Amino acid sequence: MNTRTRNPLRRRYLRELWGQFGKYAVIFVLLVFTIGLISGFLVADGSMIIAYNDSFEKYNIEDGNFRTDEEISRSNRRDIEEYGIRLYDNFYIEKGTGEENTLRIFQDRDQVNLLCLMKGQSLQKPGDMILDRMYADNNDISVGDSVRFGSREFTVTGLAAFPDYSALFQDNNDAMFDAVKFGIAAVGEEDFSQFPSDELVYNYSWKYNTPPASAEEEKKLSDQLMEDIAEEIYLEDFVPRYINQAIQFTGEDMGGDRAMMLILLYIMIVIIAFVFIVTINDTIARESAVIGTLRASGYTKAELVRHYMVLPLLITLAAALVGNILGYTYLKQVCADLYYGSYSLPTYVTIWNSEAFVLTTVVPLLIMLAATFLTLWRRLSLSPLQFLRRELRRRGKSRAFRLSPHIPFSARFRMRIFFQNTGSYVILFIGVLFANLLLLFGLALPAVLDRYQESMQDNMLCKYQYFLKIPAYQMDKDYELDKILTSTFLRLSTRTSNPDAEAFSSYTLRIPEGEALRTENIQVYGIKKNSRYIHASIGRGEIYISSAYADKCRIKAGDTIRLKEPYENKYYEFEVDGIYDYMGGLCMFMRSEDLCETFGLFEDYSSGYFSDSEITDISRDMVASIIDYDALIKISRQLDVSMGGMMVIVDGFAVILFMVLLYLLSRMIIEKNAQPISMTKILGYSDAEIARLYIVTTTIVTLLILAVTIPLENVIMKFIFMNYLAARMSGWITYDIPQIIFIKMFLIGAVTYFVVAVFEIHKIRSIPMSDALKDVV
Amino acid sequence: MLLELKDIRKSFGKGDSHVEVLRGISLGVEKGEFCLLLGPSGSGKSTLLNIIGGIDTADSGEIFIGGERMNTMKEKQLTRYRREHLGYIFQMYNLIPNLTVRENIEVGAYLGRHPLDVEEILHTLGLYEHRDKLPNQLSGGQQQRTSIGRAIVKNPDILLCDEPTGALDYNTSREILRLIERISLQYRTTIIMVTHNEAIAAMADTVIRLRDGRIRDRIENAVRTPAEELEW
Repeated sequence: MNTRTRNPLRRRYLRELWGQFGKYAVIFVLLVFTIGLISGFLVADGSMIIAYNDSFEKYNIEDGNFRTDEEISRSNRRDIEEYGIRLYDNFYIEKGTGEENTLRIFQDRDQVNLLCLMKGQSLQKPGDMILDRMYADNNDISVGDSVRFGSREFTVTGLAAFPDYSALFQDNNDAMFDAVKFGIAAVGEEDFSQFPSDELVYNYSWKYNTPPASAEEEKKLSDQLMEDIAEEIYLEDFVPRYINQAIQFTGEDMGGDRAMMLILLYIMIVIIAFVFIVTINDTIARESAVIGTLRASGYTKAELVRHYMVLPLLITLAAALVGNILGYTYLKQVCADLYYGSYSLPTYVTIWNSEAFVLTTVVPLLIMLAATFLTLWRRLSLSPLQFLRRELRRRGKSRAFRLSPHIPFSARFRMRIFFQNTGSYVILFIGVLFANLLLLFGLALPAVLDRYQESMQDNMLCKYQYFLKIPAYQMDKDYELDKILTSTFLRLSTRTSNPDAEAFSSYTLRIPEGEALRTENIQVYGIKKNSRYIHASIGRGEIYISSAYADKCRIKAGDTIRLKEPYENKYYEFEVDGIYDYMGGLCMFMRSEDLCETFGLFEDYSSGYFSDSEITDISRDMVASIIDYDALIKISRQLDVSMGGMMVIVDGFAVILFMVLLYLLSRMIIEKNAQPISMTKILGYSDAEIARLYIVTTTIVTLLILAVTIPLENVIMKFIFMNYLAARMSGWITYDIPQIIFIKMFLIGAVTYFVVAVFEIHKIRSIPMSDALKDVV
Repeated sequence: MLLELKDIRKSFGKGDSHVEVLRGISLGVEKGEFCLLLGPSGSGKSTLLNIIGGIDTADSGEIFIGGERMNTMKEKQLTRYRREHLGYIFQMYNLIPNLTVRENIEVGAYLGRHPLDVEEILHTLGLYEHRDKLPNQLSGGQQQRTSIGRAIVKNPDILLCDEPTGALDYNTSREILRLIERISLQYRTTIIMVTHNEAIAAMADTVIRLRDGRIRDRIENAVRTPAEELEW
C-alpha cells in the first residue's frame, strides 16, 4: 500500500461534518449530555460511596443497636458484653419541635457513630446543638438559628452528618425515610442529663470485639446475639447494622442508582449507534457508485470500512471527552447535590474514577466501534459491480409491492415512502419507546404519589390509630402474678372515654427471608366483632390481609402465608380468607380473640385504639405512636421530595431525546429523497404539496408509533414499578396512573413532532431544482 | 502479450431466463495497444470489460495479465491487481462530491505505486484552473475529465474505459476522446475502450466487434485516425 501520499479521502471528514452539521451536532450534543450526566453521576456516586464506605471506620459506626424499656443493669451489661461485643449507651429523647416535626436528640458522641461536622462548630456551651445537615436544609435552618424542643430552646452551632442516620428513618420498619419532618440532633452531656429519665429511650449500640469476616457470618452472629440478649433482658427492638435502613439504605440506593444510570447510558448508546447505522446505510446507498468506482480502482474493503467508521467514532470520542470534562466539573456537583438533597452524607472528596471513564468512554466507543464495523463490513461485502449498478440488496433485486391502482395516487406515494424507509421507522419505534418510557417515568411518579395521597384520605382505617406502650410480653398469660398486676395497671391507665375509640389488639410479625422480594414487618390487627372501622365480616378463625400486602406479595384468597416472630425463630402459617381494601400498610386482620389465642395473650388484651377523633384523655407517655394521614403518606411525601426535582430533568431529557431522534430520522428520509423532491419541484409540485407527500408519511407513522407504544410502555413501567418498588422499599404504593397522563404523553409527543416537522418543511423548501439535473455521484 | 483471454464464457439467469452473454471470447492485447470493443447494446462488451477489470468473473476460460493467471485470484489479490495495474473510466463520472477536482485526482494517485504528478495531470486535462472546484460546480465534460485524471494519475498498465462519452454531447465527446488518445500516446498506456459508436473505431489500434457474445470481427488499423478528425 502507498505510504507516500496521505489518503485524500481524509479530507472528506471535516467537509462531511460541516455539510451535515445539523445532524452531527444533535448527535454530539445528545452524546455529550448523556455521557456527561452519567460520568458526573458515576464520579459523584463513586466518590460518595467511597466516603460512605469509609465512614464506617472513620466515624466508628456501630455494628448494631437494640432498645430496651428500661436502662439495663450493670450485671446485665456485663453478661451481654460476654457475648463478644462492647456496648455503648446511645440514649435519645424524641419530641415535636412545634412545627409538626419530630426531633430525636442524642448526647454528643465520642466513641461510636461520631459526627462529621460539615458547617459551623462543635458544641461550645450548654444550650448549643448540632443538627443534622439535611434536616436543617429541608427546614431552612442555619447555624445560629434557634430550635425549639418541647419547652426548651437550643442554638444551632453546627450542621453535621450523623453516620448512623445517613437516611433519616425514624423507625427501621418505616416504608421510607423522612428527611423533612424527622431530624437528628446532638447536645452536650449537661443538657442531655437534664432531660427527664422517663422520657429517654434506652438505645444501646454495640460493636463486635472481633468483626465478622463476611455478610453471612455477620448475620449468623447477630441472630445468635439476639437470642442470647433476649434471654437476659426484654428487647423492644433489635437492629443489627446489616438490616438497619438508616445506615444501609443510602449505600443500597446509591448502588441501585448506579446500575440504573448505566442501563440508561447503554440504552442511549445503542439508540445512537442505531442512528449511526441508519446514517451509514443511507450514505452507502447515496455513494454506492462512488464506492463501486473506488473498489474497481483498487481501494480495499478494509480501507473503505475504516473511512466510513472514522466520523461516527470521532464524534463519539469527542463527545465522550467533552462529556467527561463536563461530568467531572459541573454535572458532578449537580449529581452530588441530588444525593445531598436526599441523604445525610458526610463530606466527600472527588476521586478519579477510572471505572467511570471506562464505562462512559471506552465501553460506548467499543459499542459504537462494533456497531459501525459490523454494519460496514456487511454492507461493503458486495462486489464493486453491485455498487456500480446500485444493487445494494444482498438477495436479489428489490421489488416494488403491488399497490392497487384504486388506492389514490398520494396514498400510494406515501406508502412507497413508508416501505422505502422501514429501517428508519423501526429505529424511530425503538427510540420513541425508550424516550416515552422515560417520559412516562417522569410524569407517572408524581401522579402515582398524588393519587396515593388522595386515595389515602378515603382509604384510612380511621383518622387516628393509637398504638399504646403496652408490650406484648406484659400480656403473656404464662407470666407470674406481678406481671398480671402490671398489665392491669397498664390497662387502667390507657382507658379512654372517647366514644369514637374502638380498642384493637396488635402483634408484629415478619416476612421470613426468601418468602418475598423483601423481608419486612406485618402488622397483625386483632379486631372486635362488628367493628366500626374494619368493614369486613371476619369470622372466628378467619384471616384477612390488606390489599397492599396482597398486591405487593401477590397473595390471593386461599393462599397460605408464612410469617415469623421478628426476633425469634418461631414461625406461623395462615390461610388467607379474604383481601381487605386497605393500601396504608402491609397488615393482617383477624378477630381479637383469635389474635390472643394464636400468640398466647390474655383474652382481653388490647394495645391500641381506632378513632375518628383525637383521643385526649390518655397520657402521651402511654402512646407509642399515632398513625394519622401524615404518617401514612410519609413514603409518598419523601419520594416527592427526593425525586420530584429529578423528574423534571427526566421529562426534559425524554422530550429532547424524542425530538432529536425524530429530527435525525425524518431529515434522513428527506435527504434520501432529495433528487426525487427536486424532480417533483421541476414537474410543478408546490412545496406544500411535496411536504404533504413526504412529511405526512412520517407524521402518520409517528402518531401511530405514539399510540402503539404508550400502552406498551404502561405495561413495562408497571412491571418495573412493581418489581423495583417491591424489592427496594418497605410498604406499598399502587401503580395507578390517571388516564390524563397518557393523553399528556401523546400530546407532548405530537407537539414535539410538529416542531420537528417545521424544520423538515424548511428543509424541503431549501432543496434546489438543480439537484435533479446533476449527477455528480 | 500484456493481456490474454482464452475461451471466456459468461451467462446470467436460470431456466427460461438463462442468457449466455459471452460465448467463448479469446483475444490478446499488447502493451501500449489501444483496443476498442465495439458492439451494440447487449453484445457483452461491458461484461467482457468488467471481467478484464476483475470486478466480474467468467464462468469459464482463462485470463492472463503479464503472464499471471487472473481468474484463480482471490478477492484480496484481485483488489491488489486492480490497484496496481488498472485505471477505470465509466460512463457516469462517479466523483466524490465533497472533494475538489484536485482531491478527486489525488484519490487515484494514492493508489498508484508510481503515480504521475497531479499538477501535470491537471494541466494535461485542462483542469488546472478548476482544480479547487467541487464536482457540482463543473460541466459534464469537466467532470469526465476529472474522472479520467483520477484513473490515469496512478499510472496504470491498462486503462479500461466503459462508454466514456456515453453521457456527453458531440463536442465534449471529441474533447474526451482527444484526451484518451493523448494519454495513449504520451504515457504509452494500454487502453481497452468499450463503445457502441462505430465512428470511434478508426482511432484505435485494434477494433474487436462483438455481437451476441461472440467476436464477429477483428480489425487492425494500420494507421490510427486522430480523434480530432473523427466525425459522427
